[in-house]
Amino acid sequence: MNRRTVIKNLALIIGGAAILPSCMQEKGKASIGLKNINIDADQEKLIGDMAETIIPKTTTPGAKDLQLHLFVLKMVDDCCTKKDQQDFITGMGQFTDLVKKQNNRSFSDCDAKQREEILLAIDKDRKDPKSTTYPPELKTFYNLVKGQTVNGYTTSKYFMTKQVVYELVPGRYNAFYPVKKQAV
Amino acid sequence: MSANTYDAIVVGSGISGGWAAKELTEKGLKTIMLERGRNIEHVKDYVNANKAPWEFPHRGGRTQKMIEDYPVLKRDYPLNETNLDYWASDKDSPYTEIKRFDWFRGYHVGGRSLMWGRQSYRWADVDFEANLKDGIAVDWPIRYADVAPWYSYAEKFAGISGNRDGLPILPDGDFMPPMEMNVVEKDVSKRLKEYYKEARHMIIGRTANITVPHNNRTNCQYRNKCWLGCPFGAYFSTQSATLPAAMATGNLTVRPWSIVTKILYDKDTKKAKGVEILDAETNQTYEYFAKVVFLNASTFNSTWIMMNSATDIWPDGLGSSSGELGHNVMDHHLNVGASGRIEGYEDKYYFGRRANGFYIPRYRNLNGEKRDYIRGFGYQGAASREGWSRDIAEMNIGGGFKDALTEPGSWQLGMGGFGETLPYHENKITLDKTKKDKWGLPVLAFDAELKENELKMRIEIEKDAKEMLEAMGAKDVKSHSDNPFLGRGIHEMGTARMGRDPKTSVLNKWNQVWDAKNVFVTDGSFMTSAACQNPSLTYMAMTARAANYAVDALKKKEI
Repeated sequence: MNRRTVIKNLALIIGGAAILPSCMQEKGKASIGLKNINIDADQEKLIGDMAETIIPKTTTPGAKDLQLHLFVLKMVDDCCTKKDQQDFITGMGQFTDLVKKQNNRSFSDCDAKQREEILLAIDKDRKDPKSTTYPPELKTFYNLVKGQTVNGYTTSKYFMTKQVVYELVPGRYNAFYPVKKQAV
Repeated sequence: MSANTYDAIVVGSGISGGWAAKELTEKGLKTIMLERGRNIEHVKDYVNANKAPWEFPHRGGRTQKMIEDYPVLKRDYPLNETNLDYWASDKDSPYTEIKRFDWFRGYHVGGRSLMWGRQSYRWADVDFEANLKDGIAVDWPIRYADVAPWYSYAEKFAGISGNRDGLPILPDGDFMPPMEMNVVEKDVSKRLKEYYKEARHMIIGRTANITVPHNNRTNCQYRNKCWLGCPFGAYFSTQSATLPAAMATGNLTVRPWSIVTKILYDKDTKKAKGVEILDAETNQTYEYFAKVVFLNASTFNSTWIMMNSATDIWPDGLGSSSGELGHNVMDHHLNVGASGRIEGYEDKYYFGRRANGFYIPRYRNLNGEKRDYIRGFGYQGAASREGWSRDIAEMNIGGGFKDALTEPGSWQLGMGGFGETLPYHENKITLDKTKKDKWGLPVLAFDAELKENELKMRIEIEKDAKEMLEAMGAKDVKSHSDNPFLGRGIHEMGTARMGRDPKTSVLNKWNQVWDAKNVFVTDGSFMTSAACQNPSLTYMAMTARAANYAVDALKKKEI
């Protein structure tokens, strides 16, 4: 019967993580408490840079502003199977090595255009499930980062209140709602 | 009158238990409602009802911990973080599966009236006559005319919104104004009607969401968060409707944490004198006494109580003299349907989240048609625009992708079948005394499956869904048929069927146990056949009818 308390605490942990100032971070460790996967600060930065490449800051906030990388880590840590978690870590290593090999520098040291090219190549390759260009763990890693970044973005408070109109209590059903070109 | 003596005992507080309590208390009976789980107070205890999607740590998803803790619930959609508290613990209340049976339970005040799908359809004469005509199982002891006034009675109080469509297969009721179809649904329903020359219809769902204010309840606010509990009381539940009515009489006592373990049967009077309960918090045993007992513990659990009662007289329990107690397990089989894309309408959308869809009533095996299976199925579905989270082919990442996420996707039209399951004697539940639940009580063993008739029907449900979607103009139509298992419909029925003969049925036409006339069973256990309509409205009507009869019989000293 303590289930509700547990859920509340979980919410608290996440809420806490989101407002935890980065200066309090222990050097080398991820900024949120994770139970099942070990992520160091460099890896967290990598996920952050990847998420930012997928959902970049434009005239509107990007992945880092919305801390979507922390959401990605939270989801992988709590919701993925052991196998997916292992593949996530293995795939992250493969990704890191591949980028180094191809670009002579880490993903974070690449400029925005290079980052986009690297991820686009993987993304396009996904459409062919039989392709062996990338190892399966790397694909799992990328799919999780992209999927949860987009999930986190489209269910964020920012997106649901500023980009689309989410009302907790619509109070009505309009069956013929016209679509304006720029949805706001 | 001792402290533990009442006029009536109602076992269970879900849809039918709430109705029993309301009817009995309104007729002046001092009633105690015994609920095995915790209390959930209307509005106050709907802890997640006012949370925005981003306030759920996993956005409503499921964690590995939840999957581990709920080995049954994880099999389908009910396992999620938004209303986990409303589902019974699989670990505290295990059961045995000789054959797979997905049993999704709600053990708390209100039961599954808090999480139900709310679709509310009357049965027609063709449904009540089906067993007789097909020569299977036993004939229903009642016909549509017996239930029709009680359907009206239940609809008027519960508040069912719907359109009067004038279809003989799905009798119209006393409805509140219907919800509206969206622009695509309106158009495709016309195409369907034309293509099948009025032999098939797509109607707006008839749902227990009120569309005008009713009995201090606010009309539906189009949140589509019903299963979190509604702060507006806009859908029918025990908490929003029957419980306040029963409490207002001053005749109701509710006792949560009360697991009824048996009916106390008096062999001299051949009646029940009360029930024995186990306090779920203290493990203490108590007895409650009354002139009449209503069993509404949910299908299978009411039967479980009977199996544990009067075993000194009938080894297989009260109501087992016919040999039918625990038999004829039914459900509606689903997870079969199709979906496709509707072109155009890009400038049209909808606003608000309608907690309802469309319904295509049964059209098979009617008016002389004979398929290679008997009975039929209906479909439920909706047209909607794909969300922002869809994958956008051309733009995979970056600023353009981010902008594209804000634009609505294409229109999708999807529907799934709800098929009738026949009552088979060999589809049964029994007591498994080798396995105990958290309270040391024996559990149920399920030995039931879909058979040839259902499996043949599923082939047609899939084929017809695809054909109809194409007739309605859908493109890229994909059909699916998965998990042909019982339970997933969450429409459990049977195991204490009604009938005309005590030798072949457990209950008579008034839902009375043949072997104990002051015990009434009015949850899904009483069903003699399953039809293909969602069953809860029928439980409401039959409970009100039985309660009316019980009070009359008490007055006449017949029971």
